[in-house]
Amino acid sequence: MFRLFFTPGWFNGYDLLFNAIGLIVAMLIAAYSWRIYKFHKENRFMYFSLAFLLVSISLAFKIFTSGVVYFYPVRETAAQVLWTAAGPHLQYSGLFYRAGFFFQMASMLLAWLLIFLVSQKSRARLTKFYEVSQIGLFVYLLLLVSVVSNFKYEVFYLTSSVLLSLIVLNYYKNYVTTRKQSTFRVMSAFLLILAGNLISVFVFLQNGSYVVGEVLTLLGFLILLQTYRQVMRR
Amino acid sequence: MAIRRSRLELVFDILLAIQNKGGKIKPTHLMYKSNLSHKLLNGYLEELLQKELVILEEEPVKKKKRPMKVVRITDKGLSFLAEFRRMREFTDAFGL
Repeated sequence: MFRLFFTPGWFNGYDLLFNAIGLIVAMLIAAYSWRIYKFHKENRFMYFSLAFLLVSISLAFKIFTSGVVYFYPVRETAAQVLWTAAGPHLQYSGLFYRAGFFFQMASMLLAWLLIFLVSQKSRARLTKFYEVSQIGLFVYLLLLVSVVSNFKYEVFYLTSSVLLSLIVLNYYKNYVTTRKQSTFRVMSAFLLILAGNLISVFVFLQNGSYVVGEVLTLLGFLILLQTYRQVMRR
Repeated sequence: MAIRRSRLELVFDILLAIQNKGGKIKPTHLMYKSNLSHKLLNGYLEELLQKELVILEEEPVKKKKRPMKVVRITDKGLSFLAEFRRMREFTDAFGL
């Protein structure tokens, strides 16, 4: 059976719960950004909404694929369903997991790229042709990274960390400019998600680092939720 | 250099100016407070009246025959202000 990397057995399932919380937070932010887009009719809000929608799609893929990998009864049912369609070709079932992890990684990396681009303080971003063509190149590279990461998972976490570092830098600039508590929280949230991704790179050395990585990422999403709730309470 | 205000920001500034004056304001004062020309303000006021975000009232003034015109913010206008503030807080937090 295909495994992207080995995680501590006792933690199987908890990470899915953490991801489900992250998924809900991402959906809430995407929905509110879409509402702002409908109100203001400015593209940056639509891109931001799309970015968080991609985060939730990525987490949904992770929950589904890892869920099938972790839980034996679910895996067996999936195998039986696939058997009717694939027959003896089920030996290629690894492709199913690879496809699941590919979509998880591709959508997450595209989401970080979009958030980075939207958080840039340029008035003319994403409007000129050459900018859009550059983004096309980025998208191609991210898809390539997602394919390679299926064989060498560290590539995903490293690429994700690079993009998240750029996002944190943008949010640091935003915090220095505004000096508001909410901007500090958003910066801290992305910093925690970055730390979670960086630590996850070292799963090959110590699989316990996956637990630390997932906990830090969950904390990041919880801070985003707190920021969202505070805005809604006003 | 000052950044050009969007249409929605102008609407927000007009409504905020009215709210800051206790919910009603004279059109001339509104023109100064929202930093708009007479022509522009009239255009925006017409739109706000159509959308029922403000209403135009006449108030009697002592020692004057003609009543004074005032612009009053409606409940719908107040909820627009609250929603706009929330959106601004969100966009500021996420650096949008």
